[in-house]
Formats: sequence, C-alpha cells, structure tokens
Amino acid sequence: MFGKVLIANRGEIAVRIIRACRELGIRTVAVFSEADRSALHIRLADEAYPIGPAPSRESYLRMDKIIDAAKKSKANAIHPGYGFLAERSDFAQACEDEGITFIGPRASAIAAMGDKAIARATVIAAGIPVVPGTEGVGNLTDEELLKAAPKIGFPLLIKATAGGGGKGMREVRSLAEMPSLISSARSEAQSAFGDGNVYLEKLVEGARHIEFQIMADMDGNTVHLGERECSLQRRHQKLLEESPSPFIDDDEEFRQRMGAVAVKAAKAVNYLSAGTIEFLVDKHKNFYFLEMNTRLQVEHPITEEVTGVDIVSEQLRIARGRQLSVKQEQVKMQGWAIECRVNAEDPYNNFLPSTGLISHLSSPKGPGVRVDTGVYAGFQISPYYDSMISKLIVRGDSRAQAILRMRRALEEYRIVGVKTNIPFHQSIVEQARFLAGNYDTRFVEERFSLEAAEEGKQTYPEIAAIAATLVAHQQAERSAHIIARGKRDTSNWKWVSRWERMHR
Amino acid sequence: MAKYITSIAGKDYIVEIIDARHVNVNGQAYEVDFQSISGQPVFSLLVDGGSYQAHVYPGDEGGLQVLMRGSLYEANVVDEREKRLSAAGGAGAVHSGEFVLRAPMPGLVVKVPVNEGDPVKKGTVLAILESMKMQNELKSPQDGKVTRIQVKQGDSVEQRQIMLSVE
Repeated sequence: MFGKVLIANRGEIAVRIIRACRELGIRTVAVFSEADRSALHIRLADEAYPIGPAPSRESYLRMDKIIDAAKKSKANAIHPGYGFLAERSDFAQACEDEGITFIGPRASAIAAMGDKAIARATVIAAGIPVVPGTEGVGNLTDEELLKAAPKIGFPLLIKATAGGGGKGMREVRSLAEMPSLISSARSEAQSAFGDGNVYLEKLVEGARHIEFQIMADMDGNTVHLGERECSLQRRHQKLLEESPSPFIDDDEEFRQRMGAVAVKAAKAVNYLSAGTIEFLVDKHKNFYFLEMNTRLQVEHPITEEVTGVDIVSEQLRIARGRQLSVKQEQVKMQGWAIECRVNAEDPYNNFLPSTGLISHLSSPKGPGVRVDTGVYAGFQISPYYDSMISKLIVRGDSRAQAILRMRRALEEYRIVGVKTNIPFHQSIVEQARFLAGNYDTRFVEERFSLEAAEEGKQTYPEIAAIAATLVAHQQAERSAHIIARGKRDTSNWKWVSRWERMHR
Repeated sequence: MAKYITSIAGKDYIVEIIDARHVNVNGQAYEVDFQSISGQPVFSLLVDGGSYQAHVYPGDEGGLQVLMRGSLYEANVVDEREKRLSAAGGAGAVHSGEFVLRAPMPGLVVKVPVNEGDPVKKGTVLAILESMKMQNELKSPQDGKVTRIQVKQGDSVEQRQIMLSVE
C-alpha cells in the first residue's frame, strides 16, 4: 500500500488532490515546470521537483521526467489529475511497469475508451445506443471521410480521435465546406494531442449533454453517483454544470435507467476508479453514448456536493485496494449544486484569453460556497496552459436556492489583473431559459448574446459615470502633484547647494 | 471644483466634483464616499447610502472601463476645459483610418492567411494566434487593405506586439 503520492498535474486539480491526500495522511509530491515555480500546488505539497521548461510537452507531458521524479522522491503512486497524461494508457502502463500505483483505471480500459472509435465498438457490442458516425473503423483519410459524410448526413461533427475539450472539433453543414474544416481540425488536433486523426459523428440537434459519474473498485463493484448536466457550453467547452440535471429532475426511473446503462458501459471495459460516461439526450429522452472520460472530471465537485461522496478520496481508497464506501442503493442526491468555470478570458472581446499578474483576489465565501482554485493574488497567469483559473461551486437545498447563491457568490468574486468570464456567468444565471432549466448545447452560441442579456439588466450608468470620473479626477490630481513636487525638489536642491556654499 | 463630461454608451453625464464628499451629476447633487480597496483599482463607492463595488481600469482604446454589478461600462472622461479647447482647435480631424493589429496576448502565430496589399472586409481573419491551448482568430474590424505584415507563421509574439495593419 502506498504512503506517498506524486501528482502529475498543476493548477486547481493538483491542489484538490493534495488536499484529499492530506486528509488521509498520505504524503504528497508536486512536480512543476519552469513557469510554475510559484504555483500553489508546490507550496501545499510535502515535496516538489522541477520537470522542465514551461511548454507542457517539455514538462507535464514528459512521462520519463515524471517517473524519474517519482523514483527520486520514493513516491509509490501517481495521480494524473485530468488533461496532460491522465488518459494516456502508455503512461498508466509505464507506472505499472515501474511498480508505481497509477491512481485511475487500468491501462487496458484507458486504451479501450481512449480511442473513441474502439470505445464505440466496445459499447455497441454491450448493446448500448450510440450516435451514428464513423464508428470503430480506425483512422480514415480525407477522401474516406468525405465519402462517409453523406451517409451519416449533415449537419455533422468532425472530432479528434485522441481529443476532448472541443479541441480539433469542427461542425460541418455541407460537403462543400468540409475539406478545409478537416484540415483545420487535423492541425488543431495535432498540436493539442500530437495526433491528427479525426472521425465523424452525426450532430444531434437540440441535444443535451448529460453525464454520469462512475466509481468502481478492484472487486468489480461499480456504482453511479447520478448525473451532471453539462449542456451549457461554448465552442464545445463546458462553462457551467449542475447536478442533478433539470431535464431529468425528479424522473427517478429515467435516471436509474441511464445510470444502469452507464454502469454497464464501465463494466464492459472492466473499469476501475472514477470515470464519466457522457450521453447526448434528445428532447424525447432518447439517449446515446457519446464517450467515456477515463479520469477524474473537472466538474466532479458538484457530484460531491449533492451525494456527499468525496470522489478523490474514494479514488485513493480504491487504489489502496479498499472496497467502495457506498453501495448503489445508498447513493442519494440531495439538494442542488452548480459550478461555474472561471476562465481568464475576456467575455466582451470574443473570449480571448487574458494573461497577466493577478494583483488582487477576493473569493466569495459564506454558506454553501466552495472555490477550487490554484491561483492567488500575486500569481502570474502564463500563456502556456489552460485558461481555467478557478471553479466556483455552490450548493443549495433546491435549484432556486443554488441559483440565488451562485448570483450572490459571482458578485462577491473579485479578480483584478486578468480579465475573466465572471460577467458572462452573471448574465447566464439571470437568463429566463436558464432559470427554467430549458437549454441545450447550442444555447450559448445561438440564443445568448452578452450585449442583449445586459440590455434587459438593471444598469447604473450614472453610478458608473461617478466612479469613472472620480478615478480620472484622482489620476489628474496625482499627476499635478508630481509636477508640483518636482518644482519644490528643485528649489530644495538649490537651497542645499546654497547652504553648502555658505558652510564651506 | 472640477467639471468633467463623462460619456457612457453614447450618453453624456456632466459630473462636477464639488469636494471629496459631494458631486453633481447633470445638476443633481449626490453625497459620495469613494475609496480604493487595499490600493487596488477596485473601489468601494457609497452614493447617497447605496454601496457599490467597481473595478475601474483603462480600456484598450483609451478611456476607462467600469465593471460593476455584472455589467461593463465603457466611460470616456474629459475635463470640461479640455473639451472646450479641443472643440476650439478643431481636434478630431486627424483620423487616419488605419487599424493596427496588436497581439491581444502572448502566443504563437499559427497562420497569417493574408498578404500585404490584400483587400479585406470587416470580419476577415487576419491572423490565427495560439495561446492557452486555444487557436484564436484575429479579425479585421473594418474594410481596407492589408499593409505592413510584421509577423509570420511560427513566430512567438509578446502581448501588444504589432502584427500587421489594415488601412
């Protein structure tokens, strides 16, 4: 059994994992790139080792350096977090070969679910419905993709075989625009994952993205911890998630039916540890398997908040050979949780990433509020990594209470130095469609505009005018003072020199 | 006393600062209490008892941006005397119509799909910049012609670095 865990990640998730280890009395080892020397995860860990230059392919993606750091620190387990090496079966295998416990699924399960074509073939064999597409046929050439497209029908999606997070993904409306979209998808996939292979998938319109959290132990006990609604996305990047899903809400029969399918999909690959089965759900409650994420998910905290299960600590227990601490019938979703992903992006300027020094940070606090973050005032946001800087999670007894709490918490949140998408979230949680729980994956792009949302909102232009004028006035006065002091300084020097001459 | 003309969303507000505690907006008197929070550009502003927290910072095209209660206000503050002077001097006549594309963040130039001399329309992609693992399309805000391309594919650029111009 391991007593020291190396965390092969950075940012908020490294901090999250260190916290779980601390609570269980497990020692922690952080690794960091040259850009991350002052990151929070290093300060919180028991030990920390540098693993190379800032770009991730020279540091956080270097298996050899990470395994070296594990050996050097005598860490006998590695938690990969999400992103980076989390879904690389060769990394899980390399850990096993070195006698290091990989805190996550078996390499075989990562491989089976990681290549999405193989994943689809696997779940189809288990009798699970999937979205039509170029399933299980491996890597297709551009010509083959163009030939397959009309059979699937438009609109469709080009997706990266090795991908996730919307990278390397393109939406295609007609055959004519397809060749250029294939090449841009391939180049984005190549730079993001080192693999330019793509596949096609029918676009389910009006679809909701609902996923189920899975936990499985070494004895094969597999449970689901209910669902998360992740339909609020922009360019296929999740922005706000909630649990339960307002679409499933109190339809317990539907929840258990989907949950049972999710458990079946996980068992089909002999799954171990935490994982997520993503489904597309249409308005008639038909659901299709989309993919399995064989890792801890960014949005895992909302499930923790409504089920009371600490997913990371459960992962550590399972990796130590213990049984799941809950049985399926003991899993109860109580209350409602919402998560907003706070990204260093300018919502008023096409969501362009924003970098810089966080000069001031004031986090929301109070009842039902949780902030998972890896940044602090004085931290430099570099352009090398993901733009997500924090997750704001709230819990309420009801959805209404959770929404009111989220509004309150967003207003309390102050981050100065980089631009963030907090104003975007503030507008979303005021939207009638959001309040009604009536939104799909296209809501942000097609039916939401920040300008229009702000039009209906109560505004305070006079107060803003006072604030801006007072700031401008202060600046004008300050520069006037500097000039004035300059004059006096000159005369002081004159005075001093006269005094010196007198006393010579 | 100082008098300013502050415009927000096309509307002018005449703001007179009487003293540290009193301002007039368009002739109406307000009692204010204004202070910075720990030396940051975040301000606590009390206006006739109403409490507001505002983040005030310089905008990209001059002026000040005020982020308050979930809304962004772009404010342009002009000293009244300055305004009279510039009106007298006929300022504003010098407008070249040139747009200079500066890198909005540090990153890697993935592609420059235009050449010098190319005519472009508003919305044409001028460059693709990769930062924070995302590819961002930088578009032209106006119709015109591409001039002075100063970066090429594969270049690393610093924030605010000039990439090209559109005339």
